[in-house]
Amino acid sequence: MTRNITLSLIVIVLFLPFSPLLLWSVADGWYFPQLIPDQWTLANWSAILTASTKVGEGFLQSLVIAALSTGLALLVGLPAGRALGLLDFPGKGAIKILLLLPIMVSPLATLMGIQFILIRLGLSGTMLGVVLVHLLPTIPYMTLVLSSVYANFDTGYEAQARTLGASPIQVLWQVTLPLIAPGVVVGALFAFLISWNEFLLTFFVGSGRVFTLPMVLFTSLQGGNTGVTAAIAITSILPALIFLLFSSQALSDDSAIGGLGDV
Amino acid sequence: MSNTPYFSIQQLTKSFRKTLAASDVWLDIQQGERLSLLGPSGCGKSTVLKLIAGILRPDRGEIFLANRLLNRVPPEQREIALVLQKGLLFPHLNVGENVAFGLKMRGISRAEQETRALAMLEQVQLGGFAHRHPSELSGGQAQRVALARALVIQPKVLLLDEPLSALDASLRSDMQTLILQLQKETGVTMVIVTHDQSEAVVMSDRIALMFDGCLRQVDTPEVLYQQPCDQTVARFFGGVNFFSAEAQQHQLSLPGGDTLITDYPQQGTVDVTIRPERIHVLAEAICSTNLLPVKVVQNRFTGTQRHLVLKTPDRLELQAWVPPSQDFAIGQSVFAHLPADALWSFSPDSQLVSTLPQTV
Repeated sequence: MTRNITLSLIVIVLFLPFSPLLLWSVADGWYFPQLIPDQWTLANWSAILTASTKVGEGFLQSLVIAALSTGLALLVGLPAGRALGLLDFPGKGAIKILLLLPIMVSPLATLMGIQFILIRLGLSGTMLGVVLVHLLPTIPYMTLVLSSVYANFDTGYEAQARTLGASPIQVLWQVTLPLIAPGVVVGALFAFLISWNEFLLTFFVGSGRVFTLPMVLFTSLQGGNTGVTAAIAITSILPALIFLLFSSQALSDDSAIGGLGDV
Repeated sequence: MSNTPYFSIQQLTKSFRKTLAASDVWLDIQQGERLSLLGPSGCGKSTVLKLIAGILRPDRGEIFLANRLLNRVPPEQREIALVLQKGLLFPHLNVGENVAFGLKMRGISRAEQETRALAMLEQVQLGGFAHRHPSELSGGQAQRVALARALVIQPKVLLLDEPLSALDASLRSDMQTLILQLQKETGVTMVIVTHDQSEAVVMSDRIALMFDGCLRQVDTPEVLYQQPCDQTVARFFGGVNFFSAEAQQHQLSLPGGDTLITDYPQQGTVDVTIRPERIHVLAEAICSTNLLPVKVVQNRFTGTQRHLVLKTPDRLELQAWVPPSQDFAIGQSVFAHLPADALWSFSPDSQLVSTLPQTV
């Protein structure tokens, strides 16, 4: 009973801020002092489905960019996280700080320089350029998450698998990755959402030619159409919600975290 | 049959940073033999096991198995299976998949994987457990699955690293019986690492005793008990009686003037030891040789034995374990009979004997 009440309270607190968005997206005019709109419409939703608002295109571009930067961040984060989590080597502390720098330093301070280099490489205004620049915040998060995952990983499982006849590649696919999968999911979730929501880096490096969902949202916000903006905003939250549901399911599966000790 | 041993470790040396974990280890092991690597924790015995398994690389030395140099062979191709103390069942696989793991890695067909894994589970008395999850097993069951997983790949050598130390005493003896039985059925050569001398005695044909990274004595349990090569070895096997004596032509002169006769010829100043259970305590002097008049200073009943502490007039202290029926009062004057064949002596300055392996 109390549990249900607590749960409902959490849901209300979490979703209350979004309720005006939801109302706006289906309201046909909503003026003071009305508590809720008195006329309803689905026009805003049908508007964002048309090509002219570029929502579909932005959604797709965001998806591709987020997926690519997550994949690349994993490619760097897995070995880097392993090194930081399991090995002791001189300069480890310095490398950790170096890794945190992109998060600590405002991108505004570095964007000019990055843009200069990307222009010379001909990558400014391209999707590849945007993916590369999205690695700036995603790699540190991914590496930090994976290094703490590896710090709790018992390499005895790998040694055991080797003596049972598994080659290093087989160990990676059959033992290590399945055992650290929950951590990989968390890291990938972080990276995906960071990339999905990234505005500033895309804005500069994309130079208006790479049009992700945050760009669409920003343009629409400037246009002043509250209803359409609300509908786009809700659309941009969707992946986060889907991912959260998916990952909470993956993470609550006890068998998956067996290799991670007391995490 | 050639003269070269089936499994041979030569000059094996490994150090971590500055500490020498294994130093110049030589071992020859026969096919089908059970050998224990025994020693206190931190003596390097697990390191030797990991070097054999190929998880660690030696700094120096060679490992030969069936005439093949293993040094550059990766662990997955060595045909040596390893069972660790923690069992380390893969938590993302069920019991059957765990046992079949090694077969799957070898690309054996799914049907054969299943048959062999199920048969192996049957052999460790866990038939019907194939679909259980490792987290649903008790410690003993998990160790049996780990054993099945190692044996199903039909290794040439089975390495066990303290496989029973996490189990309680009654379970441990059941597991010892099971391991011995499986070893007999499969005929696999077995090397077991343990810090428990009683386990080593039960489990092995020969014991390799290790201190500080060095092998001290390699011999049968009987020899290690009765004829240790030095005091450290004797103490590790529960030796408690040590006294120095002058040895000359089968005679030992104790400092107090008493004389003991041994059937072991040695000269000069020697350390003499006798196992506490080999001392006879007599109320009256019914024989004349090797008899010391003593006083009982302590009498402790342990249930299966009485542990007596005896003192000679020259303040030489002896411990004797006698049957519970032999009860003596504190302060009672009795006689300790030290049988000649139970007395064992070694020179007090005896250097570490790097005992070369003997054939069983």
